[in-house]
Amino acid sequence: MSLVMPKPDEATLLKSSSIINGLKKISKHVLSEEEERAVYETDGLSIHRQKPIAVVLPETTKEVSLILKYCYDNNVKVVPRGAGTGLSGSALPLEDSVLVVLGKFNKILEIDFENRCVVTQPGVTNLSITGAVQHEGFYYAPDPSSQMACSIGGNISTNAGGVHSLKYGVTTNNVLGVEMVLIDGTIIRLGGKNLDAEGYDLLGVVTGSEGLLGVITEITVKILKKPQSVRAVLIGFDTNDDAGNCVADIISAGIIPAGMEIMDKPLIIATDNFAKAGYPRDVEILLIVELDGTESEVNTLIEKVLEIAKKNKASYNRASESDEERLRFWKGRKAAFTALGAISPDYICMDGSIPRKKLGTVLNEITRLSKKYELAVANCFHAGDGNLHPLIMFDSNNKKELKKAEFFGADILKYCVKVGGVLTGEHGVGIEKRELMCEMFNNDDIQQQLSLKKAFDEKSLLNPGKVFPILHRCAEEGRVHVHKGKTRFPDLPSF
Amino acid sequence: MTDIYRPNNQEEISQFIYDCYESNRPIEIITFNSKPIGRSIQCSQTLDLSKNSGIVEYQPDELYIKVKAGTPLIDILEVLKSKNQMLGFEPVDLGYLYNGKPNYGSIGGVVSCNLSGPRRFKSGSLRDHLLGFTAVNGKGECIKSGGTVVKNVTGYDLSKLLAGSYGTLSVLTEVTLKVVPKPEFSETFVMYGLTPKEALEVFSKVMKTSLEISGACHYPKNNIDFLRLNDLDNSRTITALRIEGPKNSVQERIESLNKIFKEVKEKTILEIYQSDLFWKISANLECFNNSPKIVAKISLPPTETTDFISQFCEDEIMGINNKYFVEWAGGLIFLEIGNEDPSYLILEKMKKFCKEKSAHIMIMKADNTFRTSGFFLSSSDENIKTLASKVKLSFDPKSILNPGKIYAGI
Repeated sequence: MSLVMPKPDEATLLKSSSIINGLKKISKHVLSEEEERAVYETDGLSIHRQKPIAVVLPETTKEVSLILKYCYDNNVKVVPRGAGTGLSGSALPLEDSVLVVLGKFNKILEIDFENRCVVTQPGVTNLSITGAVQHEGFYYAPDPSSQMACSIGGNISTNAGGVHSLKYGVTTNNVLGVEMVLIDGTIIRLGGKNLDAEGYDLLGVVTGSEGLLGVITEITVKILKKPQSVRAVLIGFDTNDDAGNCVADIISAGIIPAGMEIMDKPLIIATDNFAKAGYPRDVEILLIVELDGTESEVNTLIEKVLEIAKKNKASYNRASESDEERLRFWKGRKAAFTALGAISPDYICMDGSIPRKKLGTVLNEITRLSKKYELAVANCFHAGDGNLHPLIMFDSNNKKELKKAEFFGADILKYCVKVGGVLTGEHGVGIEKRELMCEMFNNDDIQQQLSLKKAFDEKSLLNPGKVFPILHRCAEEGRVHVHKGKTRFPDLPSF
Repeated sequence: MTDIYRPNNQEEISQFIYDCYESNRPIEIITFNSKPIGRSIQCSQTLDLSKNSGIVEYQPDELYIKVKAGTPLIDILEVLKSKNQMLGFEPVDLGYLYNGKPNYGSIGGVVSCNLSGPRRFKSGSLRDHLLGFTAVNGKGECIKSGGTVVKNVTGYDLSKLLAGSYGTLSVLTEVTLKVVPKPEFSETFVMYGLTPKEALEVFSKVMKTSLEISGACHYPKNNIDFLRLNDLDNSRTITALRIEGPKNSVQERIESLNKIFKEVKEKTILEIYQSDLFWKISANLECFNNSPKIVAKISLPPTETTDFISQFCEDEIMGINNKYFVEWAGGLIFLEIGNEDPSYLILEKMKKFCKEKSAHIMIMKADNTFRTSGFFLSSSDENIKTLASKVKLSFDPKSILNPGKIYAGI
């Protein structure tokens, strides 16, 4: 499909071979052949593809610094990339860009149990951090579904969450420090092993900035001790509203579950077929609630949760009796994306965040839209933190279906904003939701963000075309976006 | 004399800042002006935000509260209490430090300082609890970021930047804060007579268990007189560990602590009422009640804390005896030092120590001379200062909002 990206700079394209030579003087690992570059032409949002001028895989911070300085001096755009599992296209190369891949930064540098932290390179996978500390009973809390493959550097880029965010926070709440390289090659350190860093919280703003502010070369994360006891309970309901009310009542009772997940019927069936999780197949909606703490605490909380479920007309419940059973409950949920891949040729995964109590309303709207667009949808929802992942199924061989799926997705996100939510909870804006930013922000909001971008990257060389709308007046696909019957910013210069 | 302007709402704030932007007039931003924290600044205009006050929206089951920035924090705490909820970052009342009496000030001020209480190492700092805001930047433009949900990566997370920016980037007009349920029960396990080194070892040990300690502090001999609680002996050093949660869980975990520290003879348990009081006193720095000296906050990796204490806090051989205490399971020291020349020298040495050890100093209170000529935050890196300066100008291009409050010249 057509995607509008910043116009490639002709001068840069013309001097491609000199850029490649320049990079080769700095790094041993420059890929410039057609087939080598093709490997990196897309990320987790694979409907868009673009080969860069060159792909560089630096091995040291110094090398990253020299590469960025070279690009800065020669006005060449740079796109950083971690493991390439991102779902919104933040790591999509530009035609006139150099792709800096952090894959060779794959070592854990220091495990410091005394200060409860791990110092790691950004290319290390999320799960390997837990793997490196679990022998002492520690773990790294954020656990995105892709944790086996996604890199910790990429997690910082999208402020990745997971299923335990309500109690343990997302990436930003679990990162203590980074070393990063600015576009002009300057190497800086933000934060460290201490809890409060100095001055402006630059680490806080770099986290979730989708590679627009700098290239991260080292990360210090907080590690936590595993809870004494963890149990999960499966609760089935006949209606969306009963499930939504149950979630609200659990929170109102002062219970903060470690995880609280919802799946709708299409996903229950798909995941159960795929992962043999033992889910009830005759319920419309399934809630998984995980509780952790001391053994007696967990047992008391499970009873309370089951009582609340009963009040909300739960038609099924089962508490895990062993850790194997608990992990089986999660196996289905964690395999949601793969399971859906087995029943639909293609799907797109949306990522809105909404107030918890709007869950019923939003699910009902998604059902209505599904009929309107004649496309099937399955829903999973991080109910604890209000993060909704509708999975829209389509067949990409049918061009019309792809188009419809994208409109369907955009309508869902607009509805999320309408009920008080946001466009993206944990996947990032990337190129996918770029033009929807005006649903949430007005011109002043966006101009402020762009000014901040300039403080880090005055020439706008780092990952341009991502996050911020590039079409005039928040136009979508060439048509002026009309909101409430009027254009929002009649006098707006293009941003 | 400066002109004090007291706008009623965001529109008036925006207009005022726009006018000041146009006419290049720097503005000092205050609410109740109760705590002159930060570097001393001189501005022709004063913007008093106390009238922009009130709770906009409180959704207990969505775990957030949205308030106007001039709202007194005490009002917010009362409302949350009525629903058995609280602010998870455990706000610090600097009223004791500055004037010897309680005065939480306004929520806008609290957010601008990003100070977090004893629970910080477990629950995160204030910035982790700020979900979104609206504000007016240095050009008079109304801006917003974030929302009311905990998971949000829609654009840059400007909430993080504004928390702890001391009013130098934008003027907050409305903030949305995450709220959490109040723990059902809590108790504090106290051990007496430990040296700082032994206390740090205790912290290290308990942080490697699953006991979910939510407060861990140490008060040395020279700083215990003020701790007057029925069940607390304030004649020896105090090392305290807080446990919170459902009653049965708290009691089980206290029992576990008893087992782990069975060798320690001198210990006691503070039940819920005294426990709550103890941590409130500690959070509010009541040991430095109305201090006439310089009070500094040092955030450092726990493994460096013992070394810092022997160099700058207490050492019999070297004759060092400054009033201090340790918080955040060893990750934080509050230290009081004299406000005359030798102390400035000590501060310079502390800065050097911090630069080498991934640590950082903030001056919580100082006299006007030091606030004018000394530093507020120890800065380790010129590149970061340069970047901070650019960030400041991206919000406030003419540098009219609290100029120089954090760093001289920024």
